Amino acid sequence: MTGFRRYLLRRLVLFFFVIVAVLTILFAILRILPGDPTSIFVDSNFSEEMVRQQRVLWGLDDPWWVQYLRYMRNMLTFDFGRSFFQNQPVSEIILEKLGNTAAMIIPSVIISVILGATLGSWLGWKRGTKREALTVFLLLFARSTPSFFVGIVVLMIFSYWLGWFPPGGMVSIGGGGDSFWSTVFSLDFLHHLILPMLVLMTREVTSPALLLRSTMLEVRGSDFLEILRAKGLPEKRIMVHATRNALLPLVTDIAVMMGFIFQGQVLLEIIFAWPGIGRELVTALGDLDYPIVQAAFYVMALTILTFNLVADLLYGVIDPRVVYD
Amino acid sequence: MQEKLADSGGPTAAAARPPVRKTGFGRRIGRLLGGFTSSLATIASYPTGAAGLAIIAFFVVLALSAPWVAPHAPFDVLTGESKQLLRLKPPSAAAPFGTTNQSMDVFSQVIWGSRIALLVGLTAAVGSAVLGTLIGLFSGYFGGRTDDILMRITDVAFGIPFLPFALVILSITGPSLAIIITLIVCFLWRTTARVVRSQVLTLRQRPFIWAARAAGTSELKILFVHIAPNVLPLMFLYMAIGVQAGVMLEAALAFLGFGDPNLISWGRMLNLAFKAGAVRTAWWWVLPPGLSLSLFVIAIFMVTRAYEEALNPRLRQM
Repeated sequence: MTGFRRYLLRRLVLFFFVIVAVLTILFAILRILPGDPTSIFVDSNFSEEMVRQQRVLWGLDDPWWVQYLRYMRNMLTFDFGRSFFQNQPVSEIILEKLGNTAAMIIPSVIISVILGATLGSWLGWKRGTKREALTVFLLLFARSTPSFFVGIVVLMIFSYWLGWFPPGGMVSIGGGGDSFWSTVFSLDFLHHLILPMLVLMTREVTSPALLLRSTMLEVRGSDFLEILRAKGLPEKRIMVHATRNALLPLVTDIAVMMGFIFQGQVLLEIIFAWPGIGRELVTALGDLDYPIVQAAFYVMALTILTFNLVADLLYGVIDPRVVYD
Repeated sequence: MQEKLADSGGPTAAAARPPVRKTGFGRRIGRLLGGFTSSLATIASYPTGAAGLAIIAFFVVLALSAPWVAPHAPFDVLTGESKQLLRLKPPSAAAPFGTTNQSMDVFSQVIWGSRIALLVGLTAAVGSAVLGTLIGLFSGYFGGRTDDILMRITDVAFGIPFLPFALVILSITGPSLAIIITLIVCFLWRTTARVVRSQVLTLRQRPFIWAARAAGTSELKILFVHIAPNVLPLMFLYMAIGVQAGVMLEAALAFLGFGDPNLISWGRMLNLAFKAGAVRTAWWWVLPPGLSLSLFVIAIFMVTRAYEEALNPRLRQM
């Protein structure tokens, strides 16, 4: 277990190092922004003295390393300040948007994993048939199609032509519950969720399916399956036993998937006008609302890194055969 | 499968050949090109690979002959007989794919857009593959501190979410194609670097490298003359994947409104169409760029898949 402990420690140190590096890059980028963010608050009627006083109050006259350390402390304690335009603390805004994004991603991933794993175990079992080859090709095909175009087409057909689903948004105007949870469990929300979820699924279903197919192929030759067969179990039951043993790598795959989804999420949220964190970032960039920009960017990077960390750690915890050096 | 590779002198056959004896710059370039054409032959021997190559060839011809094939320049405004603007006209003989809300010809824009797709795809792929391969080579071969530093940089690169990062940078610098390509290169090299590094780690232990070292060959020469040729097939594979990723990323950025405003790309067409509400009113403005993009990306996927299978025959059995 000491091997694992050392690995865990090394992995955590690396995690922290990467976060600090990403934050430093973000700091550097936002400092070289053209234009002075104070100009947003400073009216041309202000005297130079007043402008200078404000700059001192905001800490903009401090040396850069003081600003850097302050920024680091604020970021690491999730203190993001207030939005320039929405009179609200940034952390509240970000938390709300992150919740909306999760409300789309989590159900999609759960359904995709269940469907994909079932499909994949069937594919692994039916290896070598024509139908299997075709399905695998279709899956690879779905994975390489640009999903934002799929989103546009789906929106065009099911929302504008057929009128079955609303053309975007998370709830109808005036709709939605009083709290986050009552909204998420309302029928209106579900109605809005279906289209973006389907688009997300066309892509997300491929990864568990292909993964489970290849692990099934490895499990298929195992001795314990022969014993089950000798006991006279029907093929279908044997397949279930094999699947259970092939499920291990899927867990890490889910964590990796979650990280990836967060990157592509921006596009889907724009297409379906979903008030999530990706859309918030794009809006804030347009508004030059820098506190929101840096918080949204940081939170997205943090989410991806955390899921990658979880994936790496789960890999060892779940499969005792993994050896750390 | 194995015979097929041996016939065509495919990339794995080249990779298995131990040390490269013949030196001379011209000959090495010749080998590189030879490896490239024989890779193409290998790809074409798969039906999907051949189909992919045909589609890509079609787009290459289209892009090169755009000034002659496209009836209009990308930003030409079309007018009717009495000089009225032809806004949002459905497909007709005059404009086979209809017109945009600014009376521009969708057909011509799609053709001109293929140039941007090819330009971005090719430069981003070559740039990132070369950068990633160099970093992987140095990191894997020299190990120690070099490896540590380069791999930590790679870890950081993996921690940066591309789209948000690119959006922030582009909103600072203003959208331009050169910056978009640079950003894509900065994003794509990381996977190549990791894969090449692990390949170099095993190559480094092979007897022919010991032999070269015993013969007193300099480190850099071992790296570039003896090791580098053996990772070329991998580099080509990641280059091909890079074309696909590059085209997709440019389209994504352009769709989000961060495309080069002086150029028309498929992603930018989709952006303009989406903003103008064409999804509801003008399907002919949305489908041609979107389908071209999908077709092109899928064609590259078919090629990379065939190439991957050739490099790794296990994929077929798996």
